[in-house]
Amino acid sequence: MKKQNSKPPVFAEKFFEWYCENAAIEDLHGDLDELFYANLERMSVTRAKFKYCQQILSLVFSYAIEKRKRRSGYRPYSTNQTVMIANYFKVAWRNIRKHKMYSFINAFGLSIGIAFCILIYLFIRDEKSFDQFHSNKNQIYRMEAKRYDRELQGSEVPYERDAALQFGLRNVLKDELPEVKYATRFNSGRKVVLKYRDKIFSEKIAFVDRDFFKMFSFKLLSGNAERLFENNIDVVITPEIAEKYFGKEDAIGKTISIDDGGERLFTIAGIIETPPANSSLDFQILVSEESIPGYEKQMRDWSAFGTHCFVQLLDKADSAQFRASLNKVAPKYVGDLELVFTPLTEIHLMKSVGWHKVSDPQYAYILGGIALLILVIACINYISLALTTSASRRKEVGVRKVTGAGRKQLMYQFSLESLLLACVSMFIGIMLVILFLPSFNQFTGKGIAIAWKDWAELLSIGLAITFVVGLLAGSYPSVFLSRFQPALVLKGHFTSHLQASFTKPLVVLQFFLSASLIICSVIMYRQMKFVATKDLGYNKDQTLVIQTQTGWRDKSANKIVERFRTRAQSESGIVSVAGTGSSFNQGVGRFSYKIKEEEKAAYVYAVDPNYISTLGIQLAQGRNFDVNIFSDSSAVIVNQALVKDLKWTDPLNEHLNWREDTVGLGSKVIGVVKDYHFLSLEENIEPMFLTMDEFFGYHTKILVRVEAGNVPASLDKVHRMWKELFPDKPFNYTFLDQDVAKQYESYERWMSITGLATGFAILISCMGLFGLAGINSVNRTKEIGIRKVFGAGMSSLFILLNKQYMWLSLIAFVLAVPLSWYVMSKWLASFKFSIAISWELFALSILSGLVIALVTVSYHAFKTALVNPAETLKYE
Amino acid sequence: MKGYIGEFEELVLLTIASLGEEAYGVSIKENIENRSDRSISIGALHSTITRLEEKGLIKSWLGDPTQERGGRRKRFFEITHQGKVSLHHVKNLRDELWKLSRTTLSLAK
Repeated sequence: MKKQNSKPPVFAEKFFEWYCENAAIEDLHGDLDELFYANLERMSVTRAKFKYCQQILSLVFSYAIEKRKRRSGYRPYSTNQTVMIANYFKVAWRNIRKHKMYSFINAFGLSIGIAFCILIYLFIRDEKSFDQFHSNKNQIYRMEAKRYDRELQGSEVPYERDAALQFGLRNVLKDELPEVKYATRFNSGRKVVLKYRDKIFSEKIAFVDRDFFKMFSFKLLSGNAERLFENNIDVVITPEIAEKYFGKEDAIGKTISIDDGGERLFTIAGIIETPPANSSLDFQILVSEESIPGYEKQMRDWSAFGTHCFVQLLDKADSAQFRASLNKVAPKYVGDLELVFTPLTEIHLMKSVGWHKVSDPQYAYILGGIALLILVIACINYISLALTTSASRRKEVGVRKVTGAGRKQLMYQFSLESLLLACVSMFIGIMLVILFLPSFNQFTGKGIAIAWKDWAELLSIGLAITFVVGLLAGSYPSVFLSRFQPALVLKGHFTSHLQASFTKPLVVLQFFLSASLIICSVIMYRQMKFVATKDLGYNKDQTLVIQTQTGWRDKSANKIVERFRTRAQSESGIVSVAGTGSSFNQGVGRFSYKIKEEEKAAYVYAVDPNYISTLGIQLAQGRNFDVNIFSDSSAVIVNQALVKDLKWTDPLNEHLNWREDTVGLGSKVIGVVKDYHFLSLEENIEPMFLTMDEFFGYHTKILVRVEAGNVPASLDKVHRMWKELFPDKPFNYTFLDQDVAKQYESYERWMSITGLATGFAILISCMGLFGLAGINSVNRTKEIGIRKVFGAGMSSLFILLNKQYMWLSLIAFVLAVPLSWYVMSKWLASFKFSIAISWELFALSILSGLVIALVTVSYHAFKTALVNPAETLKYE
Repeated sequence: MKGYIGEFEELVLLTIASLGEEAYGVSIKENIENRSDRSISIGALHSTITRLEEKGLIKSWLGDPTQERGGRRKRFFEITHQGKVSLHHVKNLRDELWKLSRTTLSLAK
């Protein structure tokens, strides 16, 4: 046993020393040690250590220590402290006013940092608050299908979860599972035409089951909750829709028509509260599932997956039990899929399962990271400025120490000062939050509002951040400042030169953070520019996309296109009109088929012969569709990617057997188009074919190319034609280039946020640098004077004063390159088509950063270099 | 009565006296523990010592630093004249009571 090497527990010793402060306890300490070593001979090490702690405790509570502490005379927090606190505030306030510029730099940086933090807090709070307002939230689950995904083969989780399920599943769950109390489907996003008298608009409706109103806590504003959806013609709407169609009239009982591939009449049976912004389920118009067209047929179809389903379990049922019974029942209906479920409150942040309002928790991390960066940069400003302005405080520290202030007291004072500044910043920060909240909402696509009841919470968060920041920023300066030796300081032993060596690494750190942000912004900007200007292989400009307002199974769709085209031919300004089943970024159709026992898939576009010319797509081989050739109605035009995928050498002599027809050859390939980006640039150009085959649906969109030049006039003309031809159809259109740009909306958003953060980071660190440069030039005023007397020129002085800052920022940039390269290559990896990160980008960023730094520090350099040496030297 | 001392104080005073030149914290503690077969905490002991010193019954001085105890000095204690007077006081009181006892206090049967 290594008893000899055992020592008394350090923490207990430290605690004892700390507790006794500066009382004389040498003898007691010795006694304790001696007893410990004596005890080691008698008992185990652990026991001896335990005894030691026990003895210390007995001493701590004993009269002996109390007496000795009292006798030591010095007590740092005496009753006099309160008097001093008033003095600290006074001195702090005087200091803030004396150094107006530094106070401004500090307060500005800190308030922006605090404002960012509060905004991020609000963001995260909003994300977490999703779906929390339902009183049954703990019993409600969303059903999902878990299927093996061949594309994910070899990865850690080769499964894909999807919330789109079979239509009939809801009834099965409710009838066959004892744990399920309520169940409802939720089919949203379908666009229909709503008509009430002269008001015709296209609206999104959602189909739900009767249980919906019992499960979720959306308040029913009027209508009978018990009897909703007893009729299939019942419809429930939000107050906005009621206002839109009926104005001030009472909506209940009114009859409206809904055109959903056939016009039908419905009766308003209830008005329901508009779902809040933090609800995963959003809707405006609710219609019973049983009124869905072809309900019976859909109930029998167990091969189509496209319906969302929510269940509410009995209060006493738990999820494990539910899972067990689910596994028993499900295989009968879903085959080799596995049915799983997710609690309602978790679906918002479940990125892996598709949902129209899902969010990536990563965003919160990125935003939080940016906020933290800005806060750190602001804190560094505070530290470096406090250190470099310490000269003016030295005498104060000396005098305070001489008149009896202890070191702790001084540290206390300086921390209080930084806390005061942080408090001021907090109030400015909260004002900035109020100011920036609308634009922040726009950036993040959220609807965060600060209600009165949130203020207490917000203020406490603000205070918490303030406290942390105040202590963080104030800790080092207070340690540094309170260390001055009074004798040295008061004798004037210090030279007037400020010691700022510690601030250099801080400046590098600050510039490193800013530089990383600069590089990221530049790369993001370049990529977005690349995305916007890349030749996609077709012409996306001056093209209108008009909805035909029909279902894709609705034969009348093609007639609408035809009528419109005939009408448009006589008009000037309209170049061409084409019909298609899906436009870019308005949904895609993908079709799987087996060719020679091999699973293949291709994207499909149902088009008419004008499609290729309207979009300016180029044919590589073969010919376009021709309405006059009957067989073309079943022919296909493929893209080069598909030719490559199927390894065809002579595509024009091939047939694409997508029907898996065992008798026939399949569709004849009549042409090959050059690859064009029908998907976003995040994706490769996948195999695709164009077809006129009605199997793939009718043309729900009309593409209209108008002449460049006067687009608004042409748009007006198209609108008038539409009203004339189809007076009972709303005119809903988008511009193709906008649709395409929308694919990159989230990237654009993140670019703006990074850009904004970069702007602030540069601003704050430049302010810090500005302050430092100012102090530096004050320090060297005399030196510059002497140099000038000896004949130094303007330029050499300029270089002298700026050299070190250039070096610091250069070092920072060199350090920032690998970090930002790593982060950005991850970001760019989400694009299949992206710019290469080249050295020019880095060079550009470094150059711009250096120029910014140079401009910042030059002001002081010029000012100092221009001073007449006689002014600075005459005091000697 | 001025100069009254308690039982534990008496014990400590007598132990200091018995230890002579070697009376310091640990030795006093061990001595009392061995003799009276009870365990006392160092906190209680030093409290009592502090009180005795306050009353002027003992005085103390710091010894020279030694290799043991991490070079920390010992504080030695010595009974003052006042301390001796107090001990006499207690002893006289006891003796008197012994003499006055009407029951025989002898343990012999």
